[in-house]
Amino acid sequence: MSSLSQPARRGPAPYTNPYLAGIGLGLVLLASFVVMGRGLGASGAFSSACAVAVDALAPAHAQANPFWKEYLESGVGHPLKEWLVFEVLGVLAGGFLSGLLAGRVRRTVEKGPRISTGGRFAFAFVGGALMGIGAKLGRGCTSGQALTGGALLSAGGWAFMLMVFAGGYGAAWFLRRQWQ
Amino acid sequence: MSAGRPARWTRNQKLAAGAVALGLGALLIGDPGDGGRVTLDARELAALVEGEVDHVTPDELADWIVAGRQDFRLVDLRAEADYAAYHVPGAERIPITGLEDAELARNEKIVLYSQEGIHSAQAWFLLKARRYPAVYILLGGLAQWQEQVLYPVRPEAGAGAEERAAFERAAARAASFGGAARAAAAGLAPAVPALVPPPITAPGVAPTAPPPAGSPVKKKKKEGC
Amino acid sequence: MNAPLFKFGLFGDEFSLVVAFLIGIGFGFFLERAGFGSARKLTDQFYLKDMAVFRVMFTAIVTAMLGLFYLGWLGWVDLSLVYVSPTFLWPQVAGGLLLGVGFVVGGYCPGTSLVALATGKLDALAFVAGIFAGIFAIGEAWPAISGFAESSALGRLTLPEVLHLPAGLVVLLVVLMAVGGFWGAAALERRFAGRGAGEGS
Repeated sequence: MSSLSQPARRGPAPYTNPYLAGIGLGLVLLASFVVMGRGLGASGAFSSACAVAVDALAPAHAQANPFWKEYLESGVGHPLKEWLVFEVLGVLAGGFLSGLLAGRVRRTVEKGPRISTGGRFAFAFVGGALMGIGAKLGRGCTSGQALTGGALLSAGGWAFMLMVFAGGYGAAWFLRRQWQ
Repeated sequence: MSAGRPARWTRNQKLAAGAVALGLGALLIGDPGDGGRVTLDARELAALVEGEVDHVTPDELADWIVAGRQDFRLVDLRAEADYAAYHVPGAERIPITGLEDAELARNEKIVLYSQEGIHSAQAWFLLKARRYPAVYILLGGLAQWQEQVLYPVRPEAGAGAEERAAFERAAARAASFGGAARAAAAGLAPAVPALVPPPITAPGVAPTAPPPAGSPVKKKKKEGC
Repeated sequence: MNAPLFKFGLFGDEFSLVVAFLIGIGFGFFLERAGFGSARKLTDQFYLKDMAVFRVMFTAIVTAMLGLFYLGWLGWVDLSLVYVSPTFLWPQVAGGLLLGVGFVVGGYCPGTSLVALATGKLDALAFVAGIFAGIFAIGEAWPAISGFAESSALGRLTLPEVLHLPAGLVVLLVVLMAVGGFWGAAALERRFAGRGAGEGS
């Protein structure tokens, strides 16, 4: 593990053994299957929020678009009272909790050594936009399709997951200056 | 991550061995079953049948519809043509062979009816076997619905005040469902099929356009991203 | 036990949101534990220096898959009631590729960007803004592209059905693939861990 050598004595705690973290994650996913009958997700919550924003700005326009309409019609009485929205709020809370316990909550910019902060922000924004488009085309992201679909042996989930790795390795060489 | 400490490696290897062992077990099992396998508790089912707790009378159902209750799904098991001719307002037609694919949710209250009740009893059993907890049968089927709800019988002249009041309520309700009260004479031999099916109306349901797939149906919940 | 509990009516829609929040906490917690709040840790996967993404993901898949398989076999979970997202083959191939490229460009995926945000990574904020922009763009374009986006719809389709193999055999193959992959990952890391300028390691 490429631990940036921390001069301070009390640096952030080391990350958990990936297999144990994976088992933990797998048990959370299994609990979701057993309790809810559905898996985890993330991108759907972004879509719900986006649909609500579009609806607030241009209601007629949002209602005319089947993509927004579907998200506006879901939820328990309100499109934001949606399962994935609450799950994602939990992700924020759980991530913060774990980071706090490990001393890893720190305002910082994660970037490679050879890129400016502004450049990093630009890449992050563009990468996020690609993710948004890809997640909607693929009907899920790494959580909803690759992880959940993978565990359920979904054909589309596995095709999606293989292509995520293919896309990542294909792009890695061109972007090596950003990270390495 | 690979700190190289032998103890950690041992744990990882143990985990891997455990996963492979469980995988081999899965190979032996082959098919875990997808819920199509039916398991029954015969005594429990028999007790349910005997207790008649899974019945809904036509009167009760009519009152639910009048009250605008949306917490149940009403399923018409009859043939397409019969459904087209008349069905209880809000009912959706699902043939008994289509129950598997009908996407009835286990957390819904399901009320089944057929012409007399035999088909609904059989469908009740099928759904119970698939572990649907809340399945009900319309007692007497559509035949009794027509007799009791659509065409209530006017009481004899000497009937008590209480009976008359009950009839007035039933007659008003029948009118709202598109039916009408009828004289007792017809009630002696009520050739039910001969009764003209009324237009499918119900309070709160547009009389001209019957709801296509049943109004009390909850819309399908989104489960994906 | 009749599971999935929600689908057997053990609790209602309102409480399901509480469950969602609790499950989300567990999800976010283990993502952060694994180090997935760090874009560098995540992208190291694609430079073969740190295969934690592969390890965590496949361990989680194997754990949940085995758990569900055995719970289904015991009759405790009705597997037909567990929602499997329908397959749309070509849109998902295209979406996966875009997502993979976006992963290396942006450094996160939607779930991990939230964990990064929660632990103070400012670049994750730009990433999240990007997700909204991307979703807005594809949402607006949906009527134009729905012909492709809704093509090759194969419904609820699983690997055992595609391969005509018993589910248990597919489960074993996935386990063997994962364990073999873990073994290979360690070898790759030994080879590539030292590479890359600027790392100073």
